[in-house]
Amino acid sequence: MVPQPPLSPPAEVQLRGVSRVFREGLHTRIVLDAVDLTLAPGTFVALIGRSGSGKSTLLNLISGLDRPTSGEVVVGGVNLTQRTERERTLFRRRHVGFVFQAFNLIPTLTVAENVRLPLELNGRPAEAARAVAHEALAAVDLADRADSFPDRLSGGEQQRVAIARALVHRPRLLLADEPTGNLDYETGRQVMDLLHRLVRQTGTTMLVVTHDRDFLEVSDRVLTLRQGRLAEGLDEPTPER
Amino acid sequence: MMKGLLGRAGRRYLRQHPWLLGLSVLGVALGVAVVVGIDLANGSARRAFERSAETVTGRATHQIIGATGRGLDEALYGRLRREWGVREAAPVVEGYVTGADGRPFQVLGVDPFAEAPFRPYVARGLDPGAFMARPGTVLMAASAAARRGLAPGDTFAVRAEGVRHTLTVAGLLTTDGAPDAEALSGLLVADVGTAQELLGRVGRLSRIDLRVPGGPAGEALLARLTAALPGGVTVARSATRTRTVAQMSRAFEVNLTALSLLALVVGMFLIYNTMTFSVVQRRPLIGRLRALGVTRREVFFMVLGEALLIGGAGTVVGGLLGLVLGNGLVHLVTRTINDLYYVVTVRQLVLTPVILLKGIGLGVGATVLAALAPAREATAAPAAAVLQRSQEESRMRRRAPALALTGLGLGALGAASLAWAGQGLVQSYLALFAVLMAFALLTPAAVVGMARGLTPVMGRAFGLPGRMAARGLTAALSRTGVAVAALMIALAATIGVGVMVDSFRQTVSVWLGYALQADVYVQPPSLVVRQGDAWLRPEVVRRLIQTPGVAAAYSVRRVTVAAPDGPAQLVAIDAGPRTAAAFRFKQGKPAAAWAAFDDGSTVLVSEPYAFRHHLDVGDTLRLQSDRGLRAFVVRGVYYDYASDQGVVLMSRATYERYYDDRERSGLALYAEPGVEVPVLVERLRARVAGLQSVFIRSNRALRDASLEVFDRTFTVTVVLRLLAVLVAFVGVMSALMALQLEQARTVAVLRANGMTPGQVGGLVTLQTGLMGLVAGVLSMPLGLALAFLLIHVINRRSFGWTMQMDLSPGVPAQALLLALVAALLAGLYPAWRMARAHPARALREP
Repeated sequence: MVPQPPLSPPAEVQLRGVSRVFREGLHTRIVLDAVDLTLAPGTFVALIGRSGSGKSTLLNLISGLDRPTSGEVVVGGVNLTQRTERERTLFRRRHVGFVFQAFNLIPTLTVAENVRLPLELNGRPAEAARAVAHEALAAVDLADRADSFPDRLSGGEQQRVAIARALVHRPRLLLADEPTGNLDYETGRQVMDLLHRLVRQTGTTMLVVTHDRDFLEVSDRVLTLRQGRLAEGLDEPTPER
Repeated sequence: MMKGLLGRAGRRYLRQHPWLLGLSVLGVALGVAVVVGIDLANGSARRAFERSAETVTGRATHQIIGATGRGLDEALYGRLRREWGVREAAPVVEGYVTGADGRPFQVLGVDPFAEAPFRPYVARGLDPGAFMARPGTVLMAASAAARRGLAPGDTFAVRAEGVRHTLTVAGLLTTDGAPDAEALSGLLVADVGTAQELLGRVGRLSRIDLRVPGGPAGEALLARLTAALPGGVTVARSATRTRTVAQMSRAFEVNLTALSLLALVVGMFLIYNTMTFSVVQRRPLIGRLRALGVTRREVFFMVLGEALLIGGAGTVVGGLLGLVLGNGLVHLVTRTINDLYYVVTVRQLVLTPVILLKGIGLGVGATVLAALAPAREATAAPAAAVLQRSQEESRMRRRAPALALTGLGLGALGAASLAWAGQGLVQSYLALFAVLMAFALLTPAAVVGMARGLTPVMGRAFGLPGRMAARGLTAALSRTGVAVAALMIALAATIGVGVMVDSFRQTVSVWLGYALQADVYVQPPSLVVRQGDAWLRPEVVRRLIQTPGVAAAYSVRRVTVAAPDGPAQLVAIDAGPRTAAAFRFKQGKPAAAWAAFDDGSTVLVSEPYAFRHHLDVGDTLRLQSDRGLRAFVVRGVYYDYASDQGVVLMSRATYERYYDDRERSGLALYAEPGVEVPVLVERLRARVAGLQSVFIRSNRALRDASLEVFDRTFTVTVVLRLLAVLVAFVGVMSALMALQLEQARTVAVLRANGMTPGQVGGLVTLQTGLMGLVAGVLSMPLGLALAFLLIHVINRRSFGWTMQMDLSPGVPAQALLLALVAALLAGLYPAWRMARAHPARALREP
């Protein structure tokens, strides 16, 4: 059932002529226009662009949360556009991690349980999951908050939990949507360092949507999305923030 | 209603959530529909009775009545006019016959020449010559004749106490307004002689109508009459008599009304739920509005305005549904009234302004009342601050113990007022509602406690989703608490009423088991199953008793007798060797009572009679007899479930001593040894074929028939129970829809992390199942408390019956199953929606 990627894929992420059009009343709005993109395994890529330029849409397409209007999305050798909703979900569960701007922790689960969630969804035995989750929390320096509920944590702490959750099941691909957008500069810097370190350690491919200049400095590549088209490098003189 | 942008913002919010809006409106509508439906059915039945009573009473101010329902000797009328010079008097013979279509006609036998001052509609269009000269002629309402395709001169068949008669339409009754055509339509007017013949009351009058002027002249006339009238004959005010009859079914009506209010209470929970939700959801928006300069007052009225909108729409829909429901219920209600109390036929629903206003008041009022707390809450939103939902919920959790304490206080208050409320039915119901509310207030604390206890269990059984489902109950307590309370109350009502009906049925079944001792019972057909003065023709009695195979025969005579505090049902029996076994005493010594049974002054009374008239063993009871007012000593109070009005029992010997009536209302026959009962029944039926159609039934058949009447009586209750559960179902569903809206983001995150739509659906289903389980478990103690109150307080205060509480494990088990099924069904659609929701969209929203 779960589409397994070949052992050594040529590219981790490949987008071929991907367009996404939204219907708004009588009009249509082209958010992504024939986008082509190739990400090599283990690269750290930053994606910038103005608000509404289609960055989040692009992440949703790569994760299989959304489907393109036309074109193909291939992740780890699996063509997601040809997969059913269920197959895409199972693929995402196994191979993709997500970090959001708004943390998006599950309020009814404790910190440790939030981290265990992807493991449990992937069918890891409870005891093993517990140990792995503990390690992941220790890696983000929050082992002592394991039994707290998310609303007891500060923003920075919540985002660190989210990072632990995103990486705990060793995904091939980590997608982050403005992970420091809701944090102050100092906390944002810490979170970025943590993400960078962990991603490099685990060899995970990462695509991060960001306005944060610090991210641009540590990334292998910078991509700019503008009016639905993707361009290599910093296309604009200065990012928004 | 708020005008301008603020109001528009509120209304748009409701429009954007059509399901929530629809479910809230439906909740109010169902509550209002049940109340309006019951009111309509009750009101129409009562109005129909009053109108038919007014029609036959006419303009009479007083009535001369006999000691028993058998009425008066007709010679009295002649003496009244000739000897005592009373001019404004009219003889009346009253009774019921059944038409070919099975519907009853009220027969009014009158003297056409005396009628004009009393019932002018009779005199109109009447040709007294034709009317009186030919026997078997009647006047019929023009509308009724048209419906049956009859014209003057045509004949039609009726049955009176099992005997078939053919009547001729002599003329048509028309109306010029009062009484209206509706009231006339069930009436047959005949000459006194025809009516006597038809009803088997030759020589007797039901009553003599009088018009007594007010003032000293009238009082003098009444005094003169009272002195001159023979023993047992009295003068009574017409209005008082009508009222007494109508009063008989009061307890029945009050109980129905209370049950209908229950549905509204559940509906109120629903509205409270929706309004609270809509406020909590919009707290950030309200905060922003406050920052823009919207006052607390304006916010308050915005929320209240929305509630008014929901309440108004719900009331309109509910009113219409109520009309439909009333139409169905009126048949059930009138059937019960006919079974138990008096004959009434409802041909149209009467929608009075009072019913309408009550519906509007309850619908709109309950909605606004339920919205008050959320509206006040909305004003507390700090300007511009976006309050965390978790803070809001932890505030609710902190409040749970205080709510529980308030609940305990209210429960104690309810219990105390039950203990001190005396015999008031309305106070009893108020106390019962207090107990309901007490349990509702205890619900949040109970949900927290149970969820806490269930979390590890659910975790072990279902993993993280199980734990999430259990925690979700507490995490969204302000929502789940109300939904669980609504479901719990509806279920508890089901358990309470179910246990009560089961207990009652069991009690009646046990009673029938010992009260029916003979092998075969004979009764004439009567329109009111458990009452009436119907009698067996003497020839029928003679033939039945002499049938080969009959070892012994005992007769029973049932009559209504006048008494100082209203008419009483009197039953006179021949006491045989097995009679004592048919009665169980609540008070008094059976041996002594039966030994004195024939002494001429002893009576036994049934439990409801003792309750209604505050009688104990040794007390004296006065009844009108053909020898005047006579006193009898109560020597025993026995259990009896045939009539909630109660019965006075005396021996046939005593009866014959005081009443000039030798007729029999029924026979109890014992078969000779070796004679098969079914064979005997067939033989008895053959012996009286063609004389009078009477019910000849074996012990078993009579018991079954009695239980059938019992079950019919409680059909309305079953309908109302189902409606209450339906309202609760809508409540749970709307709570889940609300939760679904709130949890959209959480669900999206779960989906982003790889939870499949099926797993999301499973999570929601687990959560709803858990809500059902919690509601089901909580409903048991409340349901049993309700059953106890209904059996030992409400029933006793309404009817005076002792019932054994029958706790079959089936009822709570059914309730638990119902809770789970209702919750799971209600969760189906939200689960489907959540599973199908587009995670990308939910994640994009701020």
